[in-house]
Amino acid sequence: MIVENKTRRRLRIVVAWFVTALFVFPLYFWTTTAFKEAKEIFNVPPSIWSFSPTLRNFEEVFGISFGFLRQQEVLPGGGNFYMAPRLWDSIIVALFSTALAIIISTLAAYSLSRMNFRGRHHFVSWVLSTRMMPPVAVAIPMFFIYKDIGLMDTHLGIIIIHALMNLPLAVLLLKSFFDDIPQEIDESAIVDGASRWLIFRRIVLPMAMGGVAATAVLCFIFSWTEFIFVLTLTQTGLKTVPVVSSSFVTSTGTAWGNMAALGVAAMLPAFVFILLVQKQLVRGLTLGSLKQ
Amino acid sequence: MRDSDRKQYLANIVDAYVHRRMGRRDFLKNAGLLGLGAASFGAGMRRPFGLGSMPFANASEDLRPSEEILKWVKDVSGPFRGTTLKLATESTPPSNAINSQLKKYFEEASGMTVEIEVLPLEQVLQKMTLDIASQLGTYDLYYIDQSWAASVNRDVFDPREQIETKPDLAMPGYDMDDFLPALVDGIAKYEDRWVGVPYDIPIFIMMYRKDIWEEMGFKAPTTLEEYYQQAKAITDAKGPSLYGSTGQMKSGHYSLECDWTAWLWGHGGSIFGSDGKFSGNDERGLEAMEYWTKLWKTMPPGVTGWTWDGQGQSVAQGVAASMMSWGEFFPYFDDPSATKVSGLMEAVRVPVPTRALRTTAETGFGEIPGVGHQGGSSLAVSKNSKNPDAAWIFMQWATSYDTQVLITALGGGTGPTRKSVYDDPRIIANNRVGAGTTRHLNIVRDTIAMDMGSEPDLPQWAEISNDTIPVRLGKYFAGEYGSAKEAMDDIAQAVDKVVAG
Amino acid sequence: MTAVLPKRIKDILLGDSPVPWLAPLVTMLVVFTIYPLVYNIWLSFHEYAPFKRRLVYVGWDNWSALVNDTRFWDALSVTFTYFFVLLAIQVVLGMLIALLLDSDEPGFGILRGLLTLTLVIPPAITGMMFLLMEDPAFGVLTYVLNGLGILSPDAPILATSSTALAGVMLADIWQWTPFMVLIFLAGLRSLPTEPYEAAMLDGASSFQVFRKITLPMMSKVIAVAVLIRGIDLFRAFDYMFVMTSGGPGTSTYTLSLYAWQQTFSFVKWGYGATLSLVGLVLIMIIANIFIYVSKVRW
Repeated sequence: MIVENKTRRRLRIVVAWFVTALFVFPLYFWTTTAFKEAKEIFNVPPSIWSFSPTLRNFEEVFGISFGFLRQQEVLPGGGNFYMAPRLWDSIIVALFSTALAIIISTLAAYSLSRMNFRGRHHFVSWVLSTRMMPPVAVAIPMFFIYKDIGLMDTHLGIIIIHALMNLPLAVLLLKSFFDDIPQEIDESAIVDGASRWLIFRRIVLPMAMGGVAATAVLCFIFSWTEFIFVLTLTQTGLKTVPVVSSSFVTSTGTAWGNMAALGVAAMLPAFVFILLVQKQLVRGLTLGSLKQ
Repeated sequence: MRDSDRKQYLANIVDAYVHRRMGRRDFLKNAGLLGLGAASFGAGMRRPFGLGSMPFANASEDLRPSEEILKWVKDVSGPFRGTTLKLATESTPPSNAINSQLKKYFEEASGMTVEIEVLPLEQVLQKMTLDIASQLGTYDLYYIDQSWAASVNRDVFDPREQIETKPDLAMPGYDMDDFLPALVDGIAKYEDRWVGVPYDIPIFIMMYRKDIWEEMGFKAPTTLEEYYQQAKAITDAKGPSLYGSTGQMKSGHYSLECDWTAWLWGHGGSIFGSDGKFSGNDERGLEAMEYWTKLWKTMPPGVTGWTWDGQGQSVAQGVAASMMSWGEFFPYFDDPSATKVSGLMEAVRVPVPTRALRTTAETGFGEIPGVGHQGGSSLAVSKNSKNPDAAWIFMQWATSYDTQVLITALGGGTGPTRKSVYDDPRIIANNRVGAGTTRHLNIVRDTIAMDMGSEPDLPQWAEISNDTIPVRLGKYFAGEYGSAKEAMDDIAQAVDKVVAG
Repeated sequence: MTAVLPKRIKDILLGDSPVPWLAPLVTMLVVFTIYPLVYNIWLSFHEYAPFKRRLVYVGWDNWSALVNDTRFWDALSVTFTYFFVLLAIQVVLGMLIALLLDSDEPGFGILRGLLTLTLVIPPAITGMMFLLMEDPAFGVLTYVLNGLGILSPDAPILATSSTALAGVMLADIWQWTPFMVLIFLAGLRSLPTEPYEAAMLDGASSFQVFRKITLPMMSKVIAVAVLIRGIDLFRAFDYMFVMTSGGPGTSTYTLSLYAWQQTFSFVKWGYGATLSLVGLVLIMIIANIFIYVSKVRW
């Protein structure tokens, strides 16, 4: 865009890296925590760069052996047999709830973007307002509904509630992405005799793929990190990472190393998902083809 | 000393065998292991900082349930094979031991599946109340903190009735009288019912750094005033790198209330008077606050941000030299891979009260004053359970003598709730420095018998102890009240309002 | 499949009617949000009676109790402070970072990717992370801030009434500023280039360009971001739940935390529902005022 002089360019690069480093530092520190022995986590002053790394926390959390773990140890938070399946639960829930939310919201966002009908503005505001309900207030009635219809403690139940929670956000974002695609394209297609469905599938959806990917990433993240619904609507059938992490807060102190190890391991699947849609994401963030 | 210990073990095994608490096979095995146990004890003494402490070198062989008990489980569980039992519990040493090590034996023998949901304490309460309120029976067993006993009293079976009405399901030699009477009174009993049986018992004991105490020329504190003087002297001499005392004083957290009661009871005060009104603002209550406030000055400045986690860490990392708090932490302190104070800590009974303790007649709602604050919990079968009989079998197994020994040995030296477990050779064998030590358990037993303090039982107690009191105490330590009196008066009116409903 | 359908239905499905497009959304929202809303309104006129093990009708008691409940008013003021301060910080900071990263320098793609990482951590764990980093004795942030002289060791950040909320906000800022950056970047990158070229020819300063061109064209994106983030900020719960339990005293007690505690810890479902409804009504008013003032048309 604007041509910058050399000093400004350099300044921008330096500041950008510095700011990002500030944001990444807590993650770095948390990651090192996962590789520290308990007593090193609480070193005074905190050991930031130098410590003797151990894989013990990962062994304890996932029940794999690298030779650091004591035999027959009683593990906090329910032990290793408990944790690895929880990562799997998290992945299933996040993937399917994202898919469900995206399917429903692309349909809705398309019609909200392309069809003029009375009360559209109010309709969108209403959709948005459904996100305003505090989760605490939704959790109790959901508990009773879920018990009655048998969705309690099931993957499907959590998938539905997470999709639901993401709908307002997804509809709003997708609508704004669809709005960015010029109406003229639709109109010329209509002249050619294409149906709404065809326009949606062949023209609008592919062109907004980046926006859809960006929305999917956000839906995935919100599901991945959600706490209250999973806590209230599950028992032993499944648990996701945020809820199971809290079981490391025990009556004999918090298992910080274990919690960090699970946290680090849990970062990976989400990060992989982001990488997978990265190409789309970049396009979503640019929507460049439309500028010319 | 080692030789005498060996004799002591032998005497105990024989005693257990004679009293049929131990099967023949186990007796022979333990007797055979005696030499080995003593040898590893010696090794532990010589290298307390040795790499990767392995307290249970042969653990997988020794520490498994007795065949007799498993046979009983198998016989009695016939009709219940395939049943799934659910329990939500706090992440405590007994629950973790059962969940990660012992459950498999029960499942194998009974053909049942036991699903244990491990959660932080407040989430256990949330799950349980939802279950009770909806009467859906999603959980077969409840883990009941002593402060909830009054509110769930009518939703669980009284184990004594279960034994009576189901003689065919009763475990031979289960022995309800073996549970420490003080714990039955303090944890399980509400009015004249048993709300389950005592399941675990974290209790306040005095833990201090022997090396520091010796360096300063002190003896273990016997009175509260002496404790303060010693803590102050250490902070004055070594602060800010080492503080004399520490605490769990996070605003709005249950732990703050726990600390408060210990000092309150220790000054002859009580939470409630016999009229059922809050009495923490009387003369003795204010004396306690004065003491606590000055003791607070000897603690690390971060203490008002800590629950038991930060408190324990401050001792484990050598920031604080002593704490009067949960005995469950002691085995952790001895673990050389986790802390810097392995082998340096010593446990003694809590200091004697400054003024005579109030009697239960002078307090309200069954409150039992004592410096050794207890935070035990009980295990009970839910009345909403669809499989109460199967749950009762599991509960007996989980709280039986044999299982408790294994829990105590595996679960890192947590305090048993049965008298006889303290004398089991497998427990005594861990009486040495190192992870999972049991060298503090005699103190725990003495504290339960002589110094134990129990919170009152009333349905509103969960709210009072988790919110009404600790939020306002937090305000006090944040300097938002003019004086301790102002703070306590405010608590008094708030508590009385909650009690009145 | 379309062949077997009667013509009228076919018209509806393939024609210009929004009904089939919106039907799944509306069904989901009605079943799973209208019902909870109605249930909560009903609940606010009842209270759980522990001794009877059921809900009993209490009339307007829960609503009138609000007036004299100082905890409620304290929570309200904390919630509003949290809401306005963080919204302002995150919008401004998010825009600054987005402008900074809106460039095709080598490596900037990586930076954008690294920033999204903060969003992947569950807020409850973020709370624990910052609790550890802000620990008065062992925390790395405490160590740095004490070293810089910003904080004093005698006033631990989370245990001092005047700073506790700031300590909690730090976690929120860390986690959610990148969210704003992400949305703003999406907007910035899709802006047309022509106006900028014209402005350059006129020799406008970058601040002028930002004010006269970028800001107006970004207004809708900013509005969406503010709404989404604002709604979540108003319901803030996780961080204080984990980090301070609302303390010291009530200095970090938000409305959501208070509602949670009444509902789950004390089984006062009716009062909890009442508190939630108050929160819902307030955020709806604020959002609608914002939509009206900012002239957003969907």
